[in-house]
Amino acid sequence: MTKKKVLPVILAAAMALSMTACGSSSKPAESADAKAEGAAASGDKIDLTLWHIQTGATAEIVQQSAERFMADNPQYNVTVVQKQNDSYKTDLSLAINAGTMPDVFLTWGGQTLYDYIDEGLVCDLTEYMNADNYKDNYLDAAVEQCTYNDSIYAVPIENVSVAGFFYNKEVFEQYNLEEPKTIAELEKVCDTLVENGISPFALANATKWTGSMYYQYLATRFGGLEPFAAAAAGDGSFEDEAFVYAGEKIQEWVEKGYFCEGFNGMDDDSGQARMLFFNGDAAMDLMGSWFVSNVADESTMLEDDTLGFFPFPELETSDANQTYTLGTLGDNLYSVSAKCADTEGAFKLITYLLDDEAVAARKAQGKIIPLKDFEADNDVVNEILDTLGGAAGVQLWYDQYLPSEVAEVHKSTSQEIFGLTKTPQDANAEMQKAIDTYLGK
Amino acid sequence: MNNAKSMVARNKREIATAAAVFLAPALIVIAVFIIYPIIQSFITSTYDWNGYSAGKAFVGLKNWAALMKDKEFWHAFKNNILVMVLSIVLQMPIGLALATYLNNRKGRGSQVCKVIWFLPMLMSSVAIGYLFRYALDPSTGFVTAISKMLGGGKVDLLGNPSYVLITVIFIIAWQFTPFYMVYYMAGYGGISGDIHEAAMIDGATENQYFWNIALPLLKPSIKSAIVLSMVGSLKYFDLVYVMTGGGPGNSSELMATYMYSQAFESYRMGYASAVASGMFILISIIAIVTMRLLNGKED
Repeated sequence: MTKKKVLPVILAAAMALSMTACGSSSKPAESADAKAEGAAASGDKIDLTLWHIQTGATAEIVQQSAERFMADNPQYNVTVVQKQNDSYKTDLSLAINAGTMPDVFLTWGGQTLYDYIDEGLVCDLTEYMNADNYKDNYLDAAVEQCTYNDSIYAVPIENVSVAGFFYNKEVFEQYNLEEPKTIAELEKVCDTLVENGISPFALANATKWTGSMYYQYLATRFGGLEPFAAAAAGDGSFEDEAFVYAGEKIQEWVEKGYFCEGFNGMDDDSGQARMLFFNGDAAMDLMGSWFVSNVADESTMLEDDTLGFFPFPELETSDANQTYTLGTLGDNLYSVSAKCADTEGAFKLITYLLDDEAVAARKAQGKIIPLKDFEADNDVVNEILDTLGGAAGVQLWYDQYLPSEVAEVHKSTSQEIFGLTKTPQDANAEMQKAIDTYLGK
Repeated sequence: MNNAKSMVARNKREIATAAAVFLAPALIVIAVFIIYPIIQSFITSTYDWNGYSAGKAFVGLKNWAALMKDKEFWHAFKNNILVMVLSIVLQMPIGLALATYLNNRKGRGSQVCKVIWFLPMLMSSVAIGYLFRYALDPSTGFVTAISKMLGGGKVDLLGNPSYVLITVIFIIAWQFTPFYMVYYMAGYGGISGDIHEAAMIDGATENQYFWNIALPLLKPSIKSAIVLSMVGSLKYFDLVYVMTGGGPGNSSELMATYMYSQAFESYRMGYASAVASGMFILISIIAIVTMRLLNGKED
């Protein structure tokens, strides 16, 4: 997901350049060859092009899915094109402009997908998703994320990422603490930890989206999904009381010392918050579910069974649904181009991306897939899945949902709320101005 | 007579041809990679464009008008000026002092010092950024460790809007002082040993030699070092990008990091081009004025 690739560009560029250079020079050549062979051998097959951004073993899984599809449906000839993540959006918009849009492509949902739908570029897949209740295989909230104006436009395939609190069980045991169910309980837990000289929350907020998750969750707990969706569409306002509540709560928590010292200068990509969490200097970390693989790689917490998870606590005083989760249910949503000659075939191809073999292969990779009956081999992951299963809907990360120039304003103002250098009112007014400017264009 | 004239003319023509041939590679590279992009930036700055869409909307001077009123940009400019002034104040004297020390001592010890002092210059900015990121970590870094040894608490330098820029400026100084050290050592190399000897015979102390003889002779080196440092500071990018990303908030934002975030994070390529062009104009003015001032004093 985009958030994770906020790795320092300069550092990565030098190394990545050489690797991707090989990757992209060999892959298109391969698929072009495959295409030529296929066409020569088969005469009048229906051509389908599929773009994906997977790398390594998962790219292999996608390729095999396409091959199984062709073996079962010999009337099709599928060209699988591996694109590079960073330039994918640019490539896709160039292809759209050039009239060479791929038949099957992916988006991350949010505003980008909605824009394409509004432009009439994406096929309505509702009829296929409903056939044989195919869509019931998927988590409801995941399908919800692919739904726009009551129609389904995409199928969620890759990584489920949801945010929630990871905590250090040892620290909780030491101070007799229990997983908090409500925000009031969470605050009590934090007070106890602060009294004992432990930072309740590990946070590295030079990275900005890390702190923004607190803001997003608090606003969602206060007002549900509605205030943000309305504000982003220009019907509501970022000065809504949900956002005021989120900002004020964060500043209250900062003043009470709930966050680790110096969080605004710390960088999450280089693991500065995780270090505190692993050491037990900080008790909790609000993070996406990919955190489990960080923990597995960088600490012994999984082996020691000291990693716990609980969903973001509920706000007792709110009428809004308290089961919403923050994140993305499948961050590669596959859609079919409106220009595709054979929508049914294209949809069938997408279903092969998550057939039994593909699911087993992804699971072996430690991936979470947005299927209802998906079970991981890991307890923490299963706990995250339970949370998801009970979620009424998903708040997509603000910075993916919003157009990028507004998303940047959000990330920056959220960081200033944390730094106490802007009042929530000023920050929210700035957001409102940014969205007005964007929508006014 | 006639013959001689035509010889001269031919000679001139040949020299002109040779000059053109020898200059062409450099001129072509400059034209393609410097002059053309500058012109293109100015042109792009008159469009509203996200950097990848097919359509660009011509908006005339709208981006420029916005730039004039953009508090963030002028805040970044002010930060750049601070970086510039403090870089000169910190790097020039320390660089000169180190070069003077090394120039006076020729033993093995000074050779070791020379190598050690030059090391920061050999590291990449990104590596330095990460090194100091960890070194200044408010929980595990060495500044906090020292503070705790002295009975203090955790020290947060990069997360505090009041200290972040000054902290980065010191790290920039750590990185670039060795460059000026070498620069001044080269300057010393240009001063003939006879002058030192003559001064000593005339009974000057080392101190007098430095202030009254060496320093005036190093003046041209110092002048160009100042201009180099100024221009470098005004377009500075790397350490700030790696260590703070311009934050917290905009407290350590520089013009170049602001341009980057507008272009590649907010996808406002047209506006970012206006920022780049604005930087070009500001830096050119400051550099030209300074060079006039420095050269004017000489007359």
